Amino acid sequence: MNVMLMENMNSSADSTSPASMALYTVMYPVFNQKDDTSSAAQTLKAAFIKAEKHSPGLTQQILLKIMQKENIQVNYHECLLRMASEEFEALMIDRKEPEFQSLNKKAHALKRVLSTIPDEILDKVRFLQTIKDIAGAIKELLDTVNAIFKMPQYQNKRAMEQKKEFVKCSKNFSDTLKVYFKDGKYDMAFLLRHFFY
Amino acid sequence: MDDDVKKVKKPGLVSPFKRVFLKGEKGRDKKAQEKATERRALHTFSLSQPDHRIDPDILLNDYIEKEVKYLGQLTSVPGYLNPSSRTEVLQLIDNARRSHQLAGQLTSEQDAVVSLSAYNIKLVWRDGEDIILRVPIHDIAAVSYIRDDSLHLVVLKTAQESGGSPCPSSCPDLNKSQTLSSLSESGGVLVEVCCLLVLAVDNKAAAEELCLLLSQVFQIVYTESTIDFLDRAIFDGATTPIRHLSLCSDDSSSKVDIKEAFEADINTFPFQDSVEAEGNSPLASTPTSPQTKPASEGELSTTAAELLQDYMTTLRTKLSSQEIQQFATLLREYRNGASIHEFCINLRQLYGDSRKFLLLGLRAFIPEKDSQHFENFLETIGVKDGRGIITDSFGRYRRTASSASDSTTNGNGAAGGSEDSAASDEGQETSEGDEWDRMITDISNDIEALGCSMDQEAVTP
Repeated sequence: MNVMLMENMNSSADSTSPASMALYTVMYPVFNQKDDTSSAAQTLKAAFIKAEKHSPGLTQQILLKIMQKENIQVNYHECLLRMASEEFEALMIDRKEPEFQSLNKKAHALKRVLSTIPDEILDKVRFLQTIKDIAGAIKELLDTVNAIFKMPQYQNKRAMEQKKEFVKCSKNFSDTLKVYFKDGKYDMAFLLRHFFY
Repeated sequence: MDDDVKKVKKPGLVSPFKRVFLKGEKGRDKKAQEKATERRALHTFSLSQPDHRIDPDILLNDYIEKEVKYLGQLTSVPGYLNPSSRTEVLQLIDNARRSHQLAGQLTSEQDAVVSLSAYNIKLVWRDGEDIILRVPIHDIAAVSYIRDDSLHLVVLKTAQESGGSPCPSSCPDLNKSQTLSSLSESGGVLVEVCCLLVLAVDNKAAAEELCLLLSQVFQIVYTESTIDFLDRAIFDGATTPIRHLSLCSDDSSSKVDIKEAFEADINTFPFQDSVEAEGNSPLASTPTSPQTKPASEGELSTTAAELLQDYMTTLRTKLSSQEIQQFATLLREYRNGASIHEFCINLRQLYGDSRKFLLLGLRAFIPEKDSQHFENFLETIGVKDGRGIITDSFGRYRRTASSASDSTTNGNGAAGGSEDSAASDEGQETSEGDEWDRMITDISNDIEALGCSMDQEAVTP
């Protein structure tokens, strides 16, 4: 959701495809850790951003190939979900108005609770509580978005379309949960596919 | 001569005392045997081992019966009773048995049948089938199995009804008519109370089976309830308000939001066009996308519009043209003041047994003030996913004026507090009510038009 709204306000996160989460969740922290202001590092960062924009999912493919090559046995989507709970400047709205700061907080709260899914999913009782927490976080986020949309200056057709998309993804997430509970199949990728915003 | 008489046993004569006693014993055995053969077979299913798994559909759409002995129900038990504590529970039970509040000796007189489904536990006497009690699933807090020597007890901790219970309290310190909100006699401390339903089964396997069945019921009920809660949260947040709504504060205002969202686009709903779209069952979890985009830039509730469209499409596939017109009439009558009860009964009659699931699709369009009655009605007619039994445990997710809403603008777009917006919103309430009426009128007209168009299609070659 943050990525969607930010398109008009912050040019850093230009790619909004779910597959681009690898860039923000994995690569951005790497770029920030390096704290390398050399032109090579900056060029690499810019190259990744540009490449991802033109070919969404490229970063993910690179990461998966690296993991395959190095024989890293981890669940990629699970890792991505856990890492998504971190705060990324690129995904935050840098406007100071209280409503946008509130939006940042609500979006982060949702991502935080989603990141607990891998730990809770195997305990039915705790997972049900997590789902309730997710429901609450979605509701608060949408309430905040609606509050922003009430202001005429922020009524933006594209943002509203993106909100619709988020609602649709939320619904798909709910449907996936129903399938999961019915079949008892634990497919993290399937679950997360609908929540990569 | 007397001795001879005494010694000789005349054939055909039986001592009157023997006749009475033997007849009594034989009679009792005979009665017991007759009882056993007279008793109906239980409605039961084979369960997969070792976890006694049962098909969830049986619990949702059917039921399963198990034989138990009903020892009694203890009321006004302190709510803080730990159902996992064998000592605590047995102490209560022992006290109750001593004071004859629970059956002491187990005989066939305590024979009962427990009927289990996703909706409730029902206890009836084995002979005569008179109902003992019924406990909704959401009133069950815990189930315990306690083995006390040869006795296999299954104890259910349940909520206490405020009207009291058939058994007197087991706790002398508490008032017999103690309810959840009443104070105890010893000091002014609020004490929550509960009931303990005490059953006995034949053996450990039977006890474990009963406990596992209840566990599965809990899983089904609370899983569905949780997903339902998630869906509601998404639906409530999905609507995009056009202007500040003072009506939001107390009501679950998703309905108000839906009416606002419909306001701009009700006439653009392609009720006729939707015939061409693939039909969707009202139970489908994924709503279809709107077939046409709204002409205006007005905010349209995605979920609400899709729900309405889904429902109209379904009506067309499930009802005849005459029935659609009848539906429109009932809807208009409801809008004009007919009671929700009447509306439900008439709809139920219209849909019949085979199509009663269509009532589920109406859920989103029932105003909040009538929604509880509607949910209860769904439950009574056995429509699956009747929400009344399971939402109570978690409570409805009610839309309250969030901090974000409190600081939002009034209709003129100027930032202000609630005081500023109250005056300007007063005038809006009447117009919003009119708009709601207009929207429902439009819906009714469109439904009638749907019916008429079907008639025309039937006539036209």
